[in-house]
Amino acid sequence: MRNALLIAWREFAENAKTRGFWFGILLFPMIWIIGAQVPAFLAKKGTPTRNFVLVDRTGRMAAVVEAALERDEQRRQGEAFREWASARLVPGGSLPLAKGEFDLGQALGEVGPMLRTNVGSFESPSPRFRRVEPPPGITIDGDLNALEGELRSWLREGRSYVPVDAKVPVSLFAAALILEGKTSNAAPVLRFWSENQADTALREKIDNALSADFRLREYVRLGIDPKVVSRVENARAEVVNLSPRKAAGEERVGIADLLRQWAPSAFVYLLWVAVFSIAQMLLNSVIEEKSNRIIEVLLSSVTPVELMAGKLVGIAAVGLVMVGSWIGTLFLVGFWMAGSAAASGAASGGASGLPMELMTLLGDSWILPAFGLYFLLGYVLYSAVILAIGSTCNTIKEAQNYMGVIVLLMMVPLVAMTFIPRDPNGPIATFLSWIPPYTPFVMMNRVTAGPPLRDVLGTLVLLVACDVLAIWACGRIFRAAVLRTGQPASISQMWRWVRGR
Amino acid sequence: MELESVSKRYGDFRAVDGLSLSVPQGCIYGVLGPNGAGKTTTLRMILGVVEPTSGRVSVLGHGSAMSVRERVGYLPEEKGLYRKMKASAVIAYFATLKGMSRRQADLRARELLDRHGLGLFADVKTEALSKGMGQKVQVLASIAHDPDLVILDEPFSGLDPVNQGVLEEIVRDLKERGRTVLLSTHVMAHAERLCDRVVIISGGRSLFDGTLAEARRVVPAKVRIRTRDSLEPLQDLPMLRELRSLGDGRWEFELEEGADPQAVLEACFTNQVRLSHFSASEATLHDAFVRLVGPAAREASYR
Repeated sequence: MRNALLIAWREFAENAKTRGFWFGILLFPMIWIIGAQVPAFLAKKGTPTRNFVLVDRTGRMAAVVEAALERDEQRRQGEAFREWASARLVPGGSLPLAKGEFDLGQALGEVGPMLRTNVGSFESPSPRFRRVEPPPGITIDGDLNALEGELRSWLREGRSYVPVDAKVPVSLFAAALILEGKTSNAAPVLRFWSENQADTALREKIDNALSADFRLREYVRLGIDPKVVSRVENARAEVVNLSPRKAAGEERVGIADLLRQWAPSAFVYLLWVAVFSIAQMLLNSVIEEKSNRIIEVLLSSVTPVELMAGKLVGIAAVGLVMVGSWIGTLFLVGFWMAGSAAASGAASGGASGLPMELMTLLGDSWILPAFGLYFLLGYVLYSAVILAIGSTCNTIKEAQNYMGVIVLLMMVPLVAMTFIPRDPNGPIATFLSWIPPYTPFVMMNRVTAGPPLRDVLGTLVLLVACDVLAIWACGRIFRAAVLRTGQPASISQMWRWVRGR
Repeated sequence: MELESVSKRYGDFRAVDGLSLSVPQGCIYGVLGPNGAGKTTTLRMILGVVEPTSGRVSVLGHGSAMSVRERVGYLPEEKGLYRKMKASAVIAYFATLKGMSRRQADLRARELLDRHGLGLFADVKTEALSKGMGQKVQVLASIAHDPDLVILDEPFSGLDPVNQGVLEEIVRDLKERGRTVLLSTHVMAHAERLCDRVVIISGGRSLFDGTLAEARRVVPAKVRIRTRDSLEPLQDLPMLRELRSLGDGRWEFELEEGADPQAVLEACFTNQVRLSHFSASEATLHDAFVRLVGPAAREASYR
């Protein structure tokens, strides 16, 4: 026991000194930050102002479209301002609710007293869309085909030009042509030309503006009060989402219930990542000792089971510290976000309240211990198998061949994770629960859905038995294989070792 | 330490075949044999790293070296260290595995390194040490916990003559302090200088087990004389095995095992064979080894 702990401590200390460990600790939070911030950053800064030409053959619609785009732009500026201001509030300060049109001067006047001093000035984001005058030499009143032909070549070649009303050259993102409807009472036609078919925002905004305007005019023409229409259109059926599992009076399905359903997937993923983050360490630790022949000295000092157990505990602890640090970071960031969200006066319980909800969810039930148990048992099972693989190989390259099989095996829970939460007690989930390599993954997915007690107890017993068996069998393979050099062992050879021949 | 008709089979291959050994306490015991003779397997069985297929092992009065592992030190044949650990940390780590406290082990590691001229390298990672230094560190690691029985598998391989000398001193020092040393080698000169007793094994069997003097006697001593007289009177001497003429009145006798060359001199004297030259040469361990192992080893290398 003492020796196993000594070995565990050395493995832990040596692996915790490696760069890989610290990269691992920092990498995940970095991926989160990048994953969360970069798209938002790109959306804000990365998309350039889209310049477009608007040709209105109806004579009425250009103003409608421009007004709609202007309203949108105002809202965008207002949001940017609120975001800027909420990060610069004095402690305890709050932002007034947004209302009406955004006006920077007015907004600054209202919010100013709430802001800390020396916050700098607010820089309005550049506009999302800008209508520009058509390229020189294009007559917009002429023949439609000729006009489109010319616009088309400008768009295709992406040439830039200086519009008559501007000073800097622009290149066209799109050309929108609005034509009269085919009959006198039909909606107008939008012909939208653009090289970029991925960014559909401008097309949709013009389309919505035209459609809304047309509908409104139709209501008026048919003698219907637009206010009535608006009221009718906004009417909705009242939906109450209930769960039969919950106590009377608390049946309402809230965010905690959604978490209850989806949090397990997070844990499944965490187990997956945890196993893979230490796989290389496990393989390295045995293969280094085998290739250096240190193993002989060790085996003259400790039993193979002590050595095996020590390595398992030490390296597993490294992985747990890594995973723990990720979870810790998640909660810290969550609390920080929740804190700043509360400060800016936003309603709590939104996305920023998630960690809180998660905490309550995990804190007040047997779910957390169940997760912990399945996580640890699964972790030990995979670690023991990987360690045994390492002990039969002389080089990392040999070990990679076997690891390929493990990776394939472990793909199944990742795929299963997408459908098991929808039918957590269905036949596929139940079947997979009883296949030991998948038991921890599938059961973590199922525990929040209240699986039958016999499944929970049965799989726990199965998993414990498998862990014991795996450690015992791996100990035997380990013992027989560690002093071997030359060819890696075949499966049948390993089987003979397990049987002790 | 004792082995009683110990065998180890790997499938059909008999690595060690009915080997018996008895190593008295406080001596330096050499395990000699050609490549593939079963030396390393024998040592591994003594250590309990490999379990014998049959037979009995007794180490320091116990059935298994594992139960007295704190009192046994081991240096394997192929040398290696944790590359990323410091020299002193490696020695201390192995010492803690042998039951020393962490503090004690650390002090001991530094003291050993200081005493053997590696004090400056105590905090250097082993990957930065030269091969010889690394090997010295490993030897120190095997004796850091002050074991009663030290098993060294080919300790001299890869060391330069100066460091071989240093290692010999370490081994003699262990003996002086009453420790038992079991070492395997195929360099006879080391065995001859160090060992009190040797066992010569080949093909997994013991061919010889005894003191160095006994080993030398395996090979007949040779006597050379020069005389103008007839050798007729000596023909019937029982201790003479073979007589060869080297020409010009010079002769060489091979003596029976255990015969004393002095007896030849005496016989010459009593039979009035007048000698102008007499020399007796005792066989070396090398001769004994080649004679015992030679045919089998050559055969093995042709297979």
